[in-house]
Amino acid sequence: MRRITELAVILSLVLGVSVLLVLAASILLPGIEVRQLAFFYLYTTINPWFQNYTVNSPEAVTAIVWDYRGLDTLFETSVFYLALIAGLALARGLFSETPQGSFNEKTHGLTTIVKTVTRVTAPMIIAVGASIGLHGHLTPGGGFQGGATIAVIPLVFIVVYSTLFLIARGVTSNKMLVLRSIGLLGIGFTSIAAFLIGLAIGRFAYVFQNMPKPGAVVGLPADINGALISGTLWFFNLFEMIAVAAGFTIAFIILLLAGRGGSGGR
Amino acid sequence: MNVYAETIVYLIMAVVSLLSVVAVYLAIVERDLIKAVIYSALQSGFYAVLYYLLMAPDIVLVYLPVAVGLIPGVLIVLISKTERWEKE
Repeated sequence: MRRITELAVILSLVLGVSVLLVLAASILLPGIEVRQLAFFYLYTTINPWFQNYTVNSPEAVTAIVWDYRGLDTLFETSVFYLALIAGLALARGLFSETPQGSFNEKTHGLTTIVKTVTRVTAPMIIAVGASIGLHGHLTPGGGFQGGATIAVIPLVFIVVYSTLFLIARGVTSNKMLVLRSIGLLGIGFTSIAAFLIGLAIGRFAYVFQNMPKPGAVVGLPADINGALISGTLWFFNLFEMIAVAAGFTIAFIILLLAGRGGSGGR
Repeated sequence: MNVYAETIVYLIMAVVSLLSVVAVYLAIVERDLIKAVIYSALQSGFYAVLYYLLMAPDIVLVYLPVAVGLIPGVLIVLISKTERWEKE
């Protein structure tokens, strides 16, 4: 009874604040002149008649994240990387407690039904994640979304099959760190790709340049053989997907592999 | 007709956000931490619906795996390493 009363009080408070906000919206909402920037982004994100400013990507969010505001996303990725490095440094003593022994299908993990369902759904989840990541410049989604979706798989496998299975299959934190570093190097090289091309052919080009701009005619191709890749966006999404999936896997391995109770699902 | 459709969408949004408040309340008062994690995932599911109705499919795609898949999974494993019941 007490819970219901509390809940009713909270809900009525929320409703009251909502009413206040609705009343205040007529004054507080920003006017139309604030939205000029949004108008510019949406107008130029794919615009064949405006070749000097377009990104050639129908997905405005990915275009903003990796082209208009690419540097912000680069720093976001490096923050995630630093957090992982800090996690690895904190957990450095725990790896000596990693469970030893070989994986046994009969004694480790959950029941056969769960294992079979996991085995069937795992390729599907990876396919969905890859399509979210690699179609990030065409449909909603992108590298982080695809990588986070793929990262569900190692977690599910640790819970359903036990950690020894992952070790037996060679999914270790060091290998994942290598994969993550490959992803980050790829992001770094993609960000200076146009600049390097400019250096090679002796033309002026910007760092983080995607399409040709006024005064900097170097640019990456918008499509390969008619398939739209939007210049750097496809490569950014690919490498970010690899980096995020490997990064989350490292986090799970740190959290779940080491220490007592690490052999989950037993 | 168009106006009615818009009103219905706003109505669904209002109901879903109130339900998410209920889920948050249940997650806070629950003493069983596993149940609290499940209520929290429920709240995330309601938020994902809100994001979808607010026309932010990119956020939905990152919010669903992280808030319904990864965080409850990690939290449940961490709870399994400590105690299941919250003390007074």
